[in-house]
Amino acid sequence: MNPPPDKHTLEQAGASDESIRQVHTQLAHEKPEQAGGGYAAYPLVLLGLMCSSIFFGSIYLAHYSSHFDPLIYNENAKPVAGGPAVPVVTPAMLGKRVYTNICMTCHQQNGQGQAGVYPPLAGSEWAQGSEERIIRIVLHGLSGPITVEGKEFNNAMTPLGTVLKDEQIANVLSFVRQEWGNTAPEVKAETVARIRAETASRTQPWTAAELEKLGK
Amino acid sequence: MNSPDNNRLEQQEIDASAKWPVLTFLGSALCWLVLGGALQLGAALQLHTPAFLGGCEWFTYGRLAPAAQNALVYGWGMNAAFGFGLWLMARLSASALRHGGWLFVAAQFWNLGITLGVLGILTGASTSFELLELPRFVTVLLLVAYALIGLWAVSTFCLRNTEHVYVSQWYLFGAAFWFPWLYTVAQVMLFQAPVRGALQPLVNAWYVNGLYGLWFVPVALAAAYYFLPKILGRPLNYFYLPAAGFWCLVVATAFSGGSRLIGGPVPSWVATLGTVANFVAVPAVVMISMTLFGTLAGRYAALKESITLRFVFLGLLGFVAASLLNFALSLRSVAVLLQFTLVGELRDWLLFYGCFSTMMFGAAYFIVPRLTGRAWRSGALVRAHCGATALGLVVLTVTLLAAGWQQGKLLNDPAVPFADLTKAMLPWFTARSVALMLLAVGHLAFFVNFCWSVCPFGSAAEAPAEFHLPPAMSLPAKEGHA
Repeated sequence: MNPPPDKHTLEQAGASDESIRQVHTQLAHEKPEQAGGGYAAYPLVLLGLMCSSIFFGSIYLAHYSSHFDPLIYNENAKPVAGGPAVPVVTPAMLGKRVYTNICMTCHQQNGQGQAGVYPPLAGSEWAQGSEERIIRIVLHGLSGPITVEGKEFNNAMTPLGTVLKDEQIANVLSFVRQEWGNTAPEVKAETVARIRAETASRTQPWTAAELEKLGK
Repeated sequence: MNSPDNNRLEQQEIDASAKWPVLTFLGSALCWLVLGGALQLGAALQLHTPAFLGGCEWFTYGRLAPAAQNALVYGWGMNAAFGFGLWLMARLSASALRHGGWLFVAAQFWNLGITLGVLGILTGASTSFELLELPRFVTVLLLVAYALIGLWAVSTFCLRNTEHVYVSQWYLFGAAFWFPWLYTVAQVMLFQAPVRGALQPLVNAWYVNGLYGLWFVPVALAAAYYFLPKILGRPLNYFYLPAAGFWCLVVATAFSGGSRLIGGPVPSWVATLGTVANFVAVPAVVMISMTLFGTLAGRYAALKESITLRFVFLGLLGFVAASLLNFALSLRSVAVLLQFTLVGELRDWLLFYGCFSTMMFGAAYFIVPRLTGRAWRSGALVRAHCGATALGLVVLTVTLLAAGWQQGKLLNDPAVPFADLTKAMLPWFTARSVALMLLAVGHLAFFVNFCWSVCPFGSAAEAPAEFHLPPAMSLPAKEGHA
């Protein structure tokens, strides 16, 4: 007689496919409390689980999503207090460009001018003196002898009133008054506008003698 | 409606129609399993014995490891899923696989594609994307083959002769559409019209996550939902849950890919969204486990009798373990320690091998005798396979968990030089090789048994297998009702 066949060489089915489909279709239409397996509170427990996973998921999302910002790669980076630091721009910083484009040719990058030809701005009593005078010089130019830092100069400066706007003039003067160790206050665009209006009829460059009457 | 005899006749007709296509898929899957397992073992050996095959350009680690992974995933995994999926779809739709010759052709195309692809990787033509390493020239071959297979699965479902659709069919039907979607989108966005820089790892992570979560896991769950009632002869418990579990799992998985990129080169909301999707997957895993473990509860004695149930049980454990690990790894506090360690590898391995592959082993032990009409030749080899798989999985899981933990701690410690870390990993790598060797022994037992059982030589003396007529399932008795 043959030995009994090994039970692990052949799997026997416990139910037909047809009945599996039928029975489970019926089961799927039953209400949970009727379904087999007992414990009627399961649906409620699962609902609770579902809700809490959505709840914690939302909190997590709010906490780590960085407002869906496409540029934030590190959710732990602390935002700067009061928003990201806005770089401060002073009129003097804006004036530097005007100075580089226009004034630097004669007065040089270091503001020293050229001995005997172009007067210096660094440390100059004119540059740090009255706004009334230097605004007029930039607007209409200057010609004839002038004494700066005790040295004589006799040359002509181009009028720039038609080239530069009020704000550009204010900026470049503020730059000159605060660069190279100069410490005079800023020049306001309104002041430039006022003087431009007061001297609207002027067509000739100023002379040093005229300007000295305006006070230091 | 159907008498039991009619039912039985129909099943024989379906199994006969599925015989050659399904056996072809399962046979080629097994060849890839043995080959891929061997390649993987070779790659694992190189991590603690660098000289092993080190002089051979084709088998350097950088080529061997992706070749092994692709051989296992596309060779074994996809072939097995095709064979099992087509058979189950035909069975549950009560509809024969028509014109199976085309499926045979598709199987040849698919396997030709994988063979060329794996050879391409070994000769150095691989791409740089995980699980998409197969060189570009095989893509068309694979897509054409898949189009045929997917078309057959879907048309078998559409031509079904049944009134009712079972939960396994939802998963198979869904997976049939999700894989081509994932694969074509990944191919187009990474190779045809590559997206820019930081988007590429995102597409890659989405693909890897989707391939495991929306292809292999659904096929595995289809097997679990089918074989538990089929073999136990009892309906599933809590059957109001599977629909909610299905949608919850699918939607959550579709969004969870980003969680693989925590701390990576993507905007932080991408990873966060993935983590939240993993939060939502937790109820899905609970619902699915409640139904499946609830059905097994109190009937664990049946595991002694049925090898298929044993594998399905292993697969369920793998599913739960992989889901837990996936959830844990997507939490930032855990990822700080365990990301980029061996635990990440364990997560994918548990899904692919612990969950999917074991389910397919169980399915094969049920299906093959029904196709050939003969029992497996050796019960001892069957038990050896099951034992080796269970033992190998336990050793591998414990090893990779412990190794990953230590690796994470050492990596986070700036005082530890990298060379010391590598030295500390040596014993763990050795243990991993032992585990993979155990699994390879199981593969060999399975392969030998399969060839022996399927090949027609010497079978004349053997009596055809005796299948008992499966009884009709009855509704569970209600308490409190007459």
